[in-house]
Amino acid sequence: MSDIQEICETMSILIEGRIFGLICLAIIMLAVVYYIQRAKTGKVPAVRRVPGIDAIDEAIGRAVEMGRPVFCSHGISNMRAATYGPQTIAGLGVLSHVAAKCAEVGARLIVPVRQPEVWPVAADIVETAYKVAGKQDEYSFDDVKFLSPAQFGYSSSYLGLMMRERAGANIMVGAYWAESLQLAETGNRVGAMQISGTANQHQLAFFVVATDYCLIGEEIFAASAYVTGEIALLSSLAGQDVGRFLGVILMILGALMITFGSDALINLLGW
Amino acid sequence: MSEALRRIEIPIVITILCTLLQIIPFYINVPPLEAASDTFRSWMILVATCSTFIGAITLIMIHSKTIQKQSKGWYYSAIMIIFMAAITLTGLPIPEAGLGDTNTVFDFLFKNIYTPLGSTMYSIIAFFITSAAYRAFRARNIEAGLVLLSGLLMICKNAPITTSLWPGFVTIGDWIFDVPNMSTMRAIIIGSALGAIALAVRTLLGMERGYLRGGGEE
Repeated sequence: MSDIQEICETMSILIEGRIFGLICLAIIMLAVVYYIQRAKTGKVPAVRRVPGIDAIDEAIGRAVEMGRPVFCSHGISNMRAATYGPQTIAGLGVLSHVAAKCAEVGARLIVPVRQPEVWPVAADIVETAYKVAGKQDEYSFDDVKFLSPAQFGYSSSYLGLMMRERAGANIMVGAYWAESLQLAETGNRVGAMQISGTANQHQLAFFVVATDYCLIGEEIFAASAYVTGEIALLSSLAGQDVGRFLGVILMILGALMITFGSDALINLLGW
Repeated sequence: MSEALRRIEIPIVITILCTLLQIIPFYINVPPLEAASDTFRSWMILVATCSTFIGAITLIMIHSKTIQKQSKGWYYSAIMIIFMAAITLTGLPIPEAGLGDTNTVFDFLFKNIYTPLGSTMYSIIAFFITSAAYRAFRARNIEAGLVLLSGLLMICKNAPITTSLWPGFVTIGDWIFDVPNMSTMRAIIIGSALGAIALAVRTLLGMERGYLRGGGEE
């Protein structure tokens, strides 16, 4: 019996096959917590600028100058899906920033929503942003629009809205699928300044070619921390680098070990 | 509503509790936690199902207002409400009354309106791809030139006429797909997973509040 199996048996409370994943998760989570705590002592890591997020204010300002509304959507996934839910949460974080900015400068904000369970959250975010800005009378219940739970019902309605309302800015951050190009191309057609972002890698190519700025993968998760400008939140982004180093080390080590005929790392990953 | 119930700490505590109840039983074998996790998942499905009514009510409220005010295009709202009522009523799961998915009206609406409209919307992506490709495939700089070149090679790999002229396009296309494309995709997946973990940590610490009224109290 190998040493690893012996350890597994003595640690039977841990589910076999997920132990290495748990260790990696714990290391990354602890690194994120460490950097957050470190920031509180004044040691702030440098965070690179993300042009797509910086351009949000510019897009809203441009829409106001043109007298056109700002569209902001958070994808078509719900908040509970294990893989795509975090993208919706990240999109809602961006929506809170956009709503606050729109309330501040007096831009009309239209939020197309696909998932009924996300609609109350989006409506609450927008309403609170207007209340905080002291402009509750400018908040319109009708502008946080639940369109359709059907994917293409949602996209056709979104396209129609953009065409009719002549969107000045279109900000789309979240999980998108086949409708991504339809939305981005229509936004382009009406002359909207567009900022997109998704972690659905198959849709990224569409967003990259059809929108002005595109947040790629992890940038959407960083966006809500980035827009707040809070040092502790920004520092959490540095914790991700520990995970990146871990990944790179495992990749190099794995390539070398397999080249020299050892499958020890593969066994370890399945531990 | 009571002010105490609108405190932002309540959804934060619920989020933390629900997150931990999903994460811990995935890695650690504690039967009571697993049972609690299952119960929470059932509640989640119930809450999500109930939210369907929120969607229907919101739609009715917004479109009724449009019809009432006779706003521009109000007749579209009327059509929407009529069809929504028709498909809801005929689709009610009461087979004894001839309703449900075997109902002829429901079946007609589903097969002859809903499905073709969905297929039409999906298929028009081809035209959007053409217009996007027209803009993207302009070699304004080195990066755009590389996109143009790899795009052209992939088209040649997939078009029967070009592969019959020179089968080497298949080898080149496969290499582009399997090496630069795959490595980029995997880098994005790893980066996204790390980003999602950092988001989860911020949420568990109660620091990520963007999704909760923008993080602010009213």
